[in-house]
Amino acid sequence: MLAVRAGDLARLGDLFERHQQPLYGFFVRITGQRTASEDLVQLVFYRILKYRHTYRDEGKFSAWIYHLARKVAADHFRKHTSKAARDVEPEVVEALPDHSPKPDEKAARNDDLALMQSALSQLPDEQREVLVLHRFQNLRHDEIARLLDCSVGAVKVRAHRALATLRDVYFRLRRERLA
Amino acid sequence: MNCERIQECFIDYQSGTLPTADAAQIRNHLKSCLTCQREWSGLQETLLKLDRLPTPVPSGRMAAQFYAWLEEEQRTADAPNPFAIARSRLDALIASWLPARPLFQAAAGLALLLGGIWAGSHLLNEQPSPQPTPSAAEARLLAEVSDLRNRVDSMGQFVAYSLQQQQSGNRRLQGVLTTLDRSETNDRVLAELLNTLAFDPSTNVRLCALEALYPHVGRDEVRAGVLAALPREASPLVQVAMIDFVAAARDHAAAPALEELTRSLSIDKAVRDAARRALVQL
Repeated sequence: MLAVRAGDLARLGDLFERHQQPLYGFFVRITGQRTASEDLVQLVFYRILKYRHTYRDEGKFSAWIYHLARKVAADHFRKHTSKAARDVEPEVVEALPDHSPKPDEKAARNDDLALMQSALSQLPDEQREVLVLHRFQNLRHDEIARLLDCSVGAVKVRAHRALATLRDVYFRLRRERLA
Repeated sequence: MNCERIQECFIDYQSGTLPTADAAQIRNHLKSCLTCQREWSGLQETLLKLDRLPTPVPSGRMAAQFYAWLEEEQRTADAPNPFAIARSRLDALIASWLPARPLFQAAAGLALLLGGIWAGSHLLNEQPSPQPTPSAAEARLLAEVSDLRNRVDSMGQFVAYSLQQQQSGNRRLQGVLTTLDRSETNDRVLAELLNTLAFDPSTNVRLCALEALYPHVGRDEVRAGVLAALPREASPLVQVAMIDFVAAARDHAAAPALEELTRSLSIDKAVRDAARRALVQL
């Protein structure tokens, strides 16, 4: 990033190769939309280039890139406030890869993952964000606290409540499916 | 720790970031608490399912779009600035004028320096060229300008006199009184005093002007001026003073005018009496 800040734009390609997939996963899990998430990733790199002079070599670059990503996601939600725009695309669940050898197990596993995906999408935004950052983007609680501008304790409490809610929603969906 | 506190620590316990003593405390609690066992089991299953969610993979379109955009940005950044291009061309042009070898460059610099010294000394010592003889048209123009200047001067004097006449009665009276203090009075001042005597609207000013004229009563033009103003005078007071003035001068030329006054019935009786006395004096 320091090279990009100094004007070596070609090095932005290295950053893209390193961060495109985690960023894409972040946006897909936050927005539930694959196509829009690709555009949002582009937007993050556009802002990296635009605001490269504001980057300070303090802490991890990933914290800064997720700082930009959160703002991009917030702008996306502001522009698309309708419920339809925030609904999970069916193909997000259907496209999940499966390596189960037996068709029954494969179907059951896909059903299970689809339920979890659906439960995750039903979490409140702030709880889902903490879970995604911690479980999928592998940020530590203190990094998330700096990102969200709150205490580490508050992040842990939020993560605890998010997991409890996710569990309740998941089991409720599973009961509904079995019934 | 109670059950609520234990369950709050499940995340750290699960991730292995809890201190050893606290982790041991939780392990012991889980052995005996069925509620927390259920909670822990449910959390484990939830986290397991959550972590098994596959990582979404972007399409190739995203990378293609990114690199196309990056290439465009690089092209824009690498595009030379038009000002830089102009400056480089200017530099190249100047460089083409200069000789390539340093020795020649030094010689050219020295030649420029000597040329500058010669030009400076030549221009500074240059004698001013004589004034050309004015042509007939220029002479006519100068004459017109001179005439115009004289007219402007006259106009200025006239305006000054007019402004003086616009002054208040006290100021005009003060002006006349100053002439009384002068040891020498020129023709211009006498003309002004006679003018004041004839035309000033204030009786006091006219009387004062007549008083100022007394030292010059021996001059013909002064007596003629007073006699000329006498028929136009409307104030009996000033008329009587004028009659006394000409009587004091023993001016026989005033006799016809005095006789006219004695015969006129439209003027004040005191004026007629004064005219008769003056005629006797003459």
